[in-house]
Amino acid sequence: MIFEKRTERILVPMFFMVALFVPLFLESNSFFVGKVTTIIILSIFVMSLDFLVGRVGLITLGHALFYGLGGYLFVILSPEYEAVNFWVYTFYICGIAALIALVTGAVVLRTTGIYFIMITLAISQMMFYYFFDSLEFGGDDGVFIFMKPETSIFGLSFLNLDDPQHFYYLALFSLFNTLVFFKVVLRSRFGRIVEATKQNPDRTEALGYNIFAFRLTCYVIGSTLGAYAGFLFALQYGFVNPSFLAWEMSGTALVMSILGGLGTIYGAILGTFTYEGLQYFFEHLTEDWLLFMGSAIILMVIVLRKGIAGYLEKLLEK
Amino acid sequence: MANDIVLETEALSKHWGGIKALNDISLQFRDRQLHGVVGPNGAGKSTLLNMLCGTLKPTSGCIFHKGQRIDTLKPWKFVRRGIGRSFQKTNIYPEVTCLENCAISAQRRFGGNFNLFASRHSNQMVRKAAEQALAQVGLDDRTHTIAAEISYGEQRQLEIAMVLATDPCILLLDEPMAGMGHEESQRIIALLKELKKTYCIVLVEHDMDAIFELSDQLTVLDNGRHLITGTVDEVRADPRVKEAYLGAEEDDAEEQAA
Repeated sequence: MIFEKRTERILVPMFFMVALFVPLFLESNSFFVGKVTTIIILSIFVMSLDFLVGRVGLITLGHALFYGLGGYLFVILSPEYEAVNFWVYTFYICGIAALIALVTGAVVLRTTGIYFIMITLAISQMMFYYFFDSLEFGGDDGVFIFMKPETSIFGLSFLNLDDPQHFYYLALFSLFNTLVFFKVVLRSRFGRIVEATKQNPDRTEALGYNIFAFRLTCYVIGSTLGAYAGFLFALQYGFVNPSFLAWEMSGTALVMSILGGLGTIYGAILGTFTYEGLQYFFEHLTEDWLLFMGSAIILMVIVLRKGIAGYLEKLLEK
Repeated sequence: MANDIVLETEALSKHWGGIKALNDISLQFRDRQLHGVVGPNGAGKSTLLNMLCGTLKPTSGCIFHKGQRIDTLKPWKFVRRGIGRSFQKTNIYPEVTCLENCAISAQRRFGGNFNLFASRHSNQMVRKAAEQALAQVGLDDRTHTIAAEISYGEQRQLEIAMVLATDPCILLLDEPMAGMGHEESQRIIALLKELKKTYCIVLVEHDMDAIFELSDQLTVLDNGRHLITGTVDEVRADPRVKEAYLGAEEDDAEEQAA
């Protein structure tokens, strides 16, 4: 069983069962389906960050770099007025993002602690300003994606990305796979050494493990999935702009991850939905929603020391 | 006899700026022997051990393992050559069970460390090796206890078990008896007597009775200098040692020697 905790075994099936039926109840309200789709995509991004920060111990402030790259890579690679194949381009984008993560990771992972935070931030800001000032990618306005990809496999197509409901299920399916994937990886022998490295890096190295190689592998995995989430987000809204890879994006994702329960993986879903839910609520309540939003988050972090997942685990585990 | 030498240092030095933590040390460590290293605080014992396991790079001089130079290698490559070390301050994975602690150290040599998908519990060889290491140090009854919850003495035993689980041929032990009571120390001494039949052991220890009892060869360091290496009796008889190290306890030492 890859879900070791009772809380996971209760919450995860519950979430996906409910999520499976959301579009059926909200058939008439395509705005809401779109909103939930966005949160689901964001959850994938937050989950990949939660893996890196909470499980591998790599506190990155540059994760949004890959979120933005997911979108921009699609714009760079695909022809403007022609529908390309979704699966093929997912493969391309993830492949190139993985390569970029491999190269940047080999540099940033030579540092640790505060220096790691600063250098990841620096690299992502570098890319932010590159796209912000670039003429061919629309500068700060970004670029529109006119043609959504088609999704046929061997001539068979069962998914229409222009249909919000179809897109919703694609996002949900991706989230489920991401969750299972991380859980499987963490349960593996590779995951054992990753956890050991986070708990006690010096000892792990003294036991003969090349901890740099383990961290780099994780960095590539996390970054690639972050890019995939960015790709989905760009497709859903049909544009990509530099705000995708701004540091605020990394910071917000970090807050969501901490809110959900750092390192719990499934907590990323809880954190993202709570954060977005609160924001939606306060936005519609008052002009000064940021004030309330901030206070609410500070309060939650103080009361729920180990995030929402940590609180639920305290209630449900025994 | 020369073939017995598994680990050798040649004019090994470590300088921190102007301070010579270790100066011109040439030592030979033989298979199936326990080689004690003693010296007052600041003599350079830990520095020596840290260089022997690769975490500290020498300022000058070389280290040879079975005739091959190894001091330029990355620390984790030392372990792959069979050089395992334990730490002075307990250095374990406190949040997981004793078995898991040993499984982490045993796993490396069975491969599949980058297999992302196979469950960590599926490999029986890793589990067996981990259980065996726990049994070797006598911790079988703590297999499923969280490492943070066992006693301090037991954690020191676990520390050694973790080194054994890497399947080393050379054990570098940094004060395995530090902070232990008499009874616990006796258990470790019995264990080391057993282990030196199969391993080359380099033991740094403050407990003089223990080191006299265990050592086949004994090296005395003082202020980063190599004072003498010899059998326990030779070292005890050497006037320089008394002067430098046992000076304050001269009467005691003579009593013991007699």
